[in-house]
Amino acid sequence: MKNRGATILAIIGAALLILPLVVHDTFVLRVLTEGVMWIGLAIAFDVIAGYTGYLNFGHGAFFGIGAYTIGILMMQANLPFWAALPAGGVAAAIVALIAGIPTLRLKGAYFAIATWALSRAIQQLALNVEFTGGPDGMRLEAFLNPQFFYYLMLITVGATFAILWYLLERAPFGLKLKAIREDEEGAKALGLNPTKLKMQSFILSALPTGILGGIYAYWITFIDPSSTLGDMVSDQAVVMVVFGGMGTLFGPALGAILIFAFKTIFWAYLSDFQLLYLIILGALIAISVIFIPNGLWGTMVKRKAGATRPEQNAEPASETAVLSAVAAPEEGN
Amino acid sequence: MMELLPQALTDGILLGGIYITIAIAFSLTYGVMHVIDFAVGEWIMFGAFTGYYLNKWTGLDPFLFLPVIFVLYFGVGYVIQPVIHRVLSGTKGNPFLMGLVFTFGLAIMFRGLALTVFGFYSNSIPSAFSEGSFDLEPLGLAVTIPTVRLVGLAYALAITLILHYLLKKTNFGLGVRALAQHKDAAGLMGVNSKRTGSYVYGIYVGISAMTGVLLGCILSIGAQMGNEYTIFAFFVVVLAGMGYLAGVPWAALLLGLVQSIFMIYFNPSHTLLAVFAILYIILLISPRGLFGKGV
Repeated sequence: MKNRGATILAIIGAALLILPLVVHDTFVLRVLTEGVMWIGLAIAFDVIAGYTGYLNFGHGAFFGIGAYTIGILMMQANLPFWAALPAGGVAAAIVALIAGIPTLRLKGAYFAIATWALSRAIQQLALNVEFTGGPDGMRLEAFLNPQFFYYLMLITVGATFAILWYLLERAPFGLKLKAIREDEEGAKALGLNPTKLKMQSFILSALPTGILGGIYAYWITFIDPSSTLGDMVSDQAVVMVVFGGMGTLFGPALGAILIFAFKTIFWAYLSDFQLLYLIILGALIAISVIFIPNGLWGTMVKRKAGATRPEQNAEPASETAVLSAVAAPEEGN
Repeated sequence: MMELLPQALTDGILLGGIYITIAIAFSLTYGVMHVIDFAVGEWIMFGAFTGYYLNKWTGLDPFLFLPVIFVLYFGVGYVIQPVIHRVLSGTKGNPFLMGLVFTFGLAIMFRGLALTVFGFYSNSIPSAFSEGSFDLEPLGLAVTIPTVRLVGLAYALAITLILHYLLKKTNFGLGVRALAQHKDAAGLMGVNSKRTGSYVYGIYVGISAMTGVLLGCILSIGAQMGNEYTIFAFFVVVLAGMGYLAGVPWAALLLGLVQSIFMIYFNPSHTLLAVFAILYIILLISPRGLFGKGV
């Protein structure tokens, strides 16, 4: 099954690479570019949320920080795009570091709201300081080349996927993060350093998100607090990952594709009902939690594994038992 | 500017009093159900709008509706709680994280619903108390206390005392405290965790909705007001020290003071930034809250 997965991935990758040569429609290319970006945002979100078990409800903040860093560096410091781009990722990583020091000490749930509050605070900051253009936003130097942005986005997301895949699924790092997710005290007892690992995973989640925000800013040429720092980015990232399946890379990618396709169709045909989209988004999270807690991907993989190799079913069950034993009572009082 | 300080302090203390009720109900649910309700601000918002429309339709004072709103939202909470309970007692995935994600989804849905129905405008709820005020000039203080804020404080005191009585003096409260300490052991002692959970969640939703009416009379209402209060509720609970109820009043007063000082001296839209900065600094110094007594 592993090989089949790799084959499918290679086919999808090749198809995405050739696509602009076949499709010349700018609108389609734009939609695809954004779709690819969402895959990147969703898998980056899942590093801290799905693998480490610390939900970051303010993922959009890192995206916005990346976008604004590049906007400010290009328009006010006159740096070229290629020099500004890495700075977007670094800025997001630095904010993750600074914000992580106190908030990663908080237990899961409180971390979630703390990150959410942080993203609110950053949005307020962007609205109120001078150099971001405040509520009027910021216009970037226009570079209108849809092919360029498509490939840039594709290569960035492809590289992010490959690096995360290696780190989380092949290297011991991923196992260490999962150990923290399952039982933080236990992980500490095994000689792991949860503080350091949580921080590394938070930064690993923020860095690509900042870079994607930067590319987005240059691509869209106009950024303002509500489009890049609003709730929409964070909310959609959560839905994509929960719906697709947390704690894997394929789940969030699948969720990103489906939710983004749905959003595109919805906004194309029902542009008068954009607020309705918010309701659907919220309802979708709630419904996925109740009916497919493992997400689409998790449910699919488990069904398959259960059908062909029944002995594998024992493992996830015990995992959950450990989880429910550690998660609930410790948090109480 | 200094002459405004006594006024800022008074306003802050009166506002902080109201935040006590939100935070106590919020942390009570957490203690019993082990889930942080992300939708707390949305319950406040729904309560505020319910009060607004009841007032508009009947012309009666919104304060008269407080019991009605409590009963109504108690019912809503009572009905929703089993769903959350189901999510939390699920055997798949990570039930604890899922509970959090679930209420996050509810919050987004409620906000979308409110924006669709009520739109983006903001308003405040008119009350008979909105007009009057007490002038403390004769006492040598340059302070005026709006009647509505004084009523708010009285409400907060009453709610806090009632909750205290319920928790400490009744059998129901004994069950709640047992449940908060150890769910399984409480179950063995004959505490019906499902029903108690539903009552607690109902009480919490009811109190949040009632508080929303007061906040609507004092400040303003709007479909997006919920966000801010969710952050406030969380701020108070973390600052007090998670699970340390005795710290709640102090943290709530601090929040009220921060908010009113920013409203008078600085840009009001910087309040959230200030709140986060204070939270950040206090967590750096004392991760277990202001008094170091949190979990």
